[in-house]
Amino acid sequence: MSYLDKTIVELHELLLKKEVTPLLLAKEAIEKAKKDPNNAFETIVEKEALEFASSLKECEEDNLLWGIPFVCKDNISTKDILTTASSEILKDYVPVFDAEVIRKLKDKKCVLIGKTTLDELAMGGTGTTGHKGVTYNPYDPSKTCMIGGSSCGSCASVAASIVPFSLGSDTGDSIRKPASYGGLVGYKPTWGKISRYGLFPFAPSLDHVGFFTRSIEDGAILLNALQGYDPKDGSSLKDHDEDNLKNLKNGVNGIKICVFKEIIDSINDKVILDAFNKSIDNLRSKGANVNIISFPKELLNAIYPTYMVISCAEATSNNANLDGIKFGPRGEGNTYQEVMMNSRTKGFSELIKRRFVIGSYSLFKENQEELFLRAQKARHLIVNKVNEVFEKYDIIYSPCVSKARNPIKGGIDDKLSSTYLIAENHLAIGNFGGYPSLSLPIGMDDGFPFDANLTGRVFEDSLVFQVGYALEETLGYKNLSIEKVVK
Amino acid sequence: MKEVTLELLKQCANNLLFDMDQEQYQTLLEEFATLFKQMELIGKIEDIDSVTPLTFPYPCQSYLREDIEGETLTLEETLKNAKEVEDNQIKLPKVVL
Repeated sequence: MSYLDKTIVELHELLLKKEVTPLLLAKEAIEKAKKDPNNAFETIVEKEALEFASSLKECEEDNLLWGIPFVCKDNISTKDILTTASSEILKDYVPVFDAEVIRKLKDKKCVLIGKTTLDELAMGGTGTTGHKGVTYNPYDPSKTCMIGGSSCGSCASVAASIVPFSLGSDTGDSIRKPASYGGLVGYKPTWGKISRYGLFPFAPSLDHVGFFTRSIEDGAILLNALQGYDPKDGSSLKDHDEDNLKNLKNGVNGIKICVFKEIIDSINDKVILDAFNKSIDNLRSKGANVNIISFPKELLNAIYPTYMVISCAEATSNNANLDGIKFGPRGEGNTYQEVMMNSRTKGFSELIKRRFVIGSYSLFKENQEELFLRAQKARHLIVNKVNEVFEKYDIIYSPCVSKARNPIKGGIDDKLSSTYLIAENHLAIGNFGGYPSLSLPIGMDDGFPFDANLTGRVFEDSLVFQVGYALEETLGYKNLSIEKVVK
Repeated sequence: MKEVTLELLKQCANNLLFDMDQEQYQTLLEEFATLFKQMELIGKIEDIDSVTPLTFPYPCQSYLREDIEGETLTLEETLKNAKEVEDNQIKLPKVVL
């Protein structure tokens, strides 16, 4: 019998009744991980997982996460467990401390099964650039359509029901967009709500730690466990913890939701648009006030270049410590500069190098005004305008992607089209303003799932989950996985 | 702005202490051309200079921790991932020959 296609809540009931044990769940997850055909794993921690699961004897009734297996993106530090960020330059790096989110999940007696693949150093959105090659979409036996990234392995593992939840990171949309290709709930919090201590930094003004689940309720449970002030993270929020389960089932009556017309106009796919419109009808039928409003198109067009310039500039600086000296494979050389040059030349893939050069060029004294500072100003204008919207509306609602099936090879050619600039990249708004942002499945296209996204005001993560729960209830796309859909 | 040329890109990469092959520099040159076209979209925003650069998502203070000793690494932990270690120090090629 398979258990891991169940939600956290369902597994907790079975653990309480002793119908299953943490050890049985860990064994099943490890067996599935070993047979994973989608290249979702960097490391499977069999010995540690089985030892820890064996030690868990009495289920804690009020701890919904007790004994639940999970996996973690490989850019989050795990003490004494290989953590590579899917990069050759860290291929043998073993952290000497746990990230705060790992510490919290250990305290909750969750069982770490493995570390998952990502686009190298979390820079990328395709799930194709990690040092182990392409991570595939479990919904696609032909292996031609992407699972997206950068949190590709964490998404694929939950979609393939290897585990009921996974940790990821999100700098532009790296949880919320793959969640769409995997038919999952994907969430990033208000910036500062979940500690980033132990996350390998990519662009700290945009970076978030978040997660994938297969239900909204499971997500609220996880947020309750992971939120909280952490003095080890300089951006950590004080005094903003909530019980995210308390109002979860309060419905959407009177909630004000808006949809940006320009985002809808940038999507041509009828299946996506029909499902999205149906979901709006459902929200309205439950009492939500949903309005289609206009948002300045020039600001939406500016999202992608703004993201590229800021994230590349921050990344160039943050990754200067990857030099092959303190850790990582060391290159040959007669001077320390040659050692670093050879280590970094071999250690980074082409994509990463290109991004570093873009970032460095943007920071040149003579280019800063027209590139880096201009991008930061665009970010300011976008955030100001979104905050104006939030004076009238509680939630911004949008489709996550322009189509459910996105080919790994031969994607969108026109990088200046609205489909590329807006439909495929608008989720970075959530990172610019640090807003809580949640993707959840709203439809299927010939066997491929797709999500929509709910973004709320900063600090109002709980309300985003409340609206997500109501939407999930009306649509019925709950606990999707390949085992349930493909069978 | 500095004109983007293959030579400049190579110089920039070398300053960052890595190198690429010629084909990769050519790809990067083309990527810059696209990025500049996309950046022109930002230039078209009329009031772009009416605001200050935004460095954090929302107004927040940087919380400095209390000046008390926290967790520290042991010597063994500090050197654990280094490839060449001698006399409890990370070994590098000689700077002064």
